[in-house]
Amino acid sequence: MSPSLTYKGVPVWRHTQVIQWTTQFVSGILVVVLVSWFAANMINAVQDREIPHGFSFLDREYQTPIGQHFLPYESSDTFLYAFIVAATNTLIVSIAGVVLATLLGTFIGIARLSGNWIISRIALIYVEFFRNVPLLVQLFFWFYIVLALPPVREGYVLADRLYLNNAGLSIPWLSVSGLGSSLGWIGLVVVAIVAGIVVHRWLVIREIRRGSAPDPLLMGIATVFVIGAVGWLVIALSSGTAPFTVSLPSPHGAFGRISDGFTMSGGLMALMLGLVIYTASFIAEIVRAGIQSVSRGQIEAARALGLSNARTLRQVTLPQAMRVIVPPLISQFLNLTKNSSLAGAIGFSDLTNVAKTMTQTAPAVSIFLMIMAAYLAMSLTYSLIGNLYNKRISIERR
Amino acid sequence: MDPKMLKNKVYFVVAVLLALAVTLAACGGGGLSEEDVEERAQTLAAERMTDDTAMTEADVEEKAQMLAQTMVAQQMQDDQMETVGNRLQAVMDRGRVICASRNDVPGYGSLDDAGNNVGFDIDLCRALAAAVLGDPNAIEIRLITAAERGPTIQSGEVDMLVRTVTWTTSRDAQWGNYAQTMFYDGQGFMVRKDLGVSSAMELQEASVCVTLGTTTELNLQDFSNQNNLNLTVVTFEDTDALVAAYDSQQCDAFTNDLSQLAALRTALSNPDDHVILPDTISEEPLGPVVPHGDDQWFDIVKTVMGILIYAEAYGVTADNVPTEATGDTKVDRLFGLGGSFGQDSLGLDETVAQDVIGAVGNYGEIYDRNLGPDGIDLPRENGRNALWANARCTDCPKGGQIYAAPLR
Repeated sequence: MSPSLTYKGVPVWRHTQVIQWTTQFVSGILVVVLVSWFAANMINAVQDREIPHGFSFLDREYQTPIGQHFLPYESSDTFLYAFIVAATNTLIVSIAGVVLATLLGTFIGIARLSGNWIISRIALIYVEFFRNVPLLVQLFFWFYIVLALPPVREGYVLADRLYLNNAGLSIPWLSVSGLGSSLGWIGLVVVAIVAGIVVHRWLVIREIRRGSAPDPLLMGIATVFVIGAVGWLVIALSSGTAPFTVSLPSPHGAFGRISDGFTMSGGLMALMLGLVIYTASFIAEIVRAGIQSVSRGQIEAARALGLSNARTLRQVTLPQAMRVIVPPLISQFLNLTKNSSLAGAIGFSDLTNVAKTMTQTAPAVSIFLMIMAAYLAMSLTYSLIGNLYNKRISIERR
Repeated sequence: MDPKMLKNKVYFVVAVLLALAVTLAACGGGGLSEEDVEERAQTLAAERMTDDTAMTEADVEEKAQMLAQTMVAQQMQDDQMETVGNRLQAVMDRGRVICASRNDVPGYGSLDDAGNNVGFDIDLCRALAAAVLGDPNAIEIRLITAAERGPTIQSGEVDMLVRTVTWTTSRDAQWGNYAQTMFYDGQGFMVRKDLGVSSAMELQEASVCVTLGTTTELNLQDFSNQNNLNLTVVTFEDTDALVAAYDSQQCDAFTNDLSQLAALRTALSNPDDHVILPDTISEEPLGPVVPHGDDQWFDIVKTVMGILIYAEAYGVTADNVPTEATGDTKVDRLFGLGGSFGQDSLGLDETVAQDVIGAVGNYGEIYDRNLGPDGIDLPRENGRNALWANARCTDCPKGGQIYAAPLR
C-alpha cells in the first residue's frame, strides 16, 4: 500500500480562524467561571458565617466625626452622604496631587536631560532616592517633619493672613455669600472661558490669513477676565453683596485653633508632600523616556531653523514626546489615587479610612464593595479622559 | 485603545460589580435545594448504570431516590458538624489557638525586653490555650489595628478576638459573641497640664486625637453634640502615630479608654506634663469575642474566663493549685477533684482548671502582672474591677463588678 498523495488541505486544528475562535471562546469561559467562582465563594462565605450584608444602612444617620472634610458635614448626615464626603476628600487629594506631581515630574524629567552637569545629577539623585523608598515610609517621614513645626499657639503668622503650625497651613479663602449669586457668577465664568477660547481660535485663524493679529493667547485671557470682572460688578451691584467674600483665618477659642479661611491640615500636608514627591519621581522618568524617544534629527532640524531652546522643547520635542508619555502617565495618576488610601496612618480622613470607621456600625462586606466601586469609578474616569486625550494627540493614520 | 472596546470594558466591570452588589443585597437561600439533590442523584445513578443496560427506567428512579436520601442525610450531618464542636476540633488538630490582639499598648499587649508579646489580653489567650491544649504557649497572635477587628472576627479566621474590644449591641449582632467582661473601662481625655483644663466640659473648640475604628470615635461625637463643644477630630489608624501627634501638640486632647490613656501616658516624652481629666464619658466593658456560629466554643471561652475569676475568689493562685481533694467542695469542683461544672459537655478535661491556673494564675494575678503594681499600675482596690465578693465570705462584698456565671 502506498501512502495517498492527494492534498487534503490544512487540518482543522491548524486553521488560523479556528485557533483564534477557540482561544477566544476558552478564555471567555475561563473568565466567566473565575468571576462567578469568586462571587459564589463570597456569597457562600457571607451566608455560612452569617456575616451581615445589605445596603439598608445607607439612609441611617452616621453620627460619627470625620476629620478634615471639603464638603460641609454634620454628624446627623446619612451614611451615604458621609461616604460622598469621604470620596470627595480622596477625589480632591487625587486631582491636586495629579496636577502637582505632573508639574514637578515634568520639571525634574527635563532637568534630568539638562546639559548642566549639577542640575542633571541632582535630578538623578532625586529620582533614584524617592522612587526606591516605600511610600508609607516617606509618608511617615513627612508626617514627622510636619509634627516638628511649632504647635498651633506658637506657630508662624504672616501678617495675620497666613498661619503655619503643625496642625496645618491656614490661608485666606473665598467664602460663599449667597448660593444664587455665587453659582451665577461661576456659571458666568464658564461662559467667559468658552468665549475666551472662541476669541483665541478666531484670532489664530486671522493671524494665519492676514499674517498679523493681536496676540491670540493674551486676548483670550483678557476676554475671560473682562467678562468675569463685569459679571462680578453687575452681581455685586444688583444683589448688594459680592458673589464671594474673602474669609480670613484667625485663632478661635481657648485653644487658639485656627478657623475660617482654608486650613490644609497637618495630615493633608504630609500626605500631599509624600504623594506628589513620590509620584513625581516616576513621572520624571516617563517624561525623560518620552523626550529621548524623539529622534535627534527633529531637534537638529529645529536648531537649523533657528528656533530657541525653549521653543524647540515646546513646539517640536514635547508634542511628539506626549505620544510616548501619556499612556504610562495615566497609570501614575491611578497609582497616586489609590496610594492616597495610606492617609489613615498619618491622620487624614480619606475614603478608605472613613469607610473603615463605618464598618463599626455597618456591614463590612457592603462597605468594602462600595469602596471598590468608588475607586474603580475614579480610575476608569481617569483612564477614559487619558485615552481620549491620547487618541487626540496620536499620529493620524490615513 | 479603541473607544468602543473601552466602553465595553467599562460596561463589563460596572455590570460585574452591580451583579455582585445585587446578589449580596438579595441573597436568598444557599446550599443544596431539594431539586438540586434530586437532579444530582439522578445523574449519579444514571452514570453508575451506563454499562448495566439491563436496568429499566424504574430501577434508575428507585436507585436515584435511595441516593438522594443518603445525600440529604449527609448534608444534614455536615450542617450539624458545622455548628457543634467544629472549632474545638479544629483548634486541637491545629495544635494552636489563634488570637487577634495587639502589641502597642503597655498592660494589654506590648513587647517586653526579651521581645515577647505580653499583657492582659495576651494572658487571656494563653489561658484559653492552656484550657483546650494544656499548653499556654500554644498560641498564635495576629496583630491587627482597631479598625480591622470587625472583619477579622466576622470572617472566623481567628479563634478569639481579645484586643481591648468594647462590648456594644451592634458589634454583638454583627461581629461575634462577647464571652465575658474582663475589664470595666470608661472613655476619658488626657491633656497637657499647662492648658489649665480641669474638666472635659472645658474642651470648647479643641482638637482631639482619636483612634480610627473605635467606640471612642463614636462616643466623641455624642459627647461633643450633647455639650455643644464643637470639637474637631484628627483620626489615626496607628496608635504610635497618634501618640506622636498628641505629644507634639497637633491636637489639644487625646481621648481613649482611661486605662489605655494611663498606659500610653508612659510612652509620652514627658509623662508628668500630662493629666487625665476626671470625666468619664462612656461605659466600656472590655472582653474576649468569639466568632458567631459555634455555641460550644463560645461556652468554652466563657467557662475559661469564669475559671480565672473563681480561682481568685477561692484564693487559689498559680503556686497553690490543688492536685488532691481539699475537702472544700467548691474548690474541689473547680479543679476536677470532685463533682463537675460541665467539663465533659464542653469537651474539656476534668482537671482543666489545674492547667489554666497553673499556667497563667488567677484573674487577680493576671491583673497585677499587667495592669496592676507590676504593670501599668492602675488601682484595683475598691474599684469596678475588684471582685464582687470573696467566695468564702459572700456577706462581705468587695464591691467590684467582676464576677462570672457560677461554676457548677
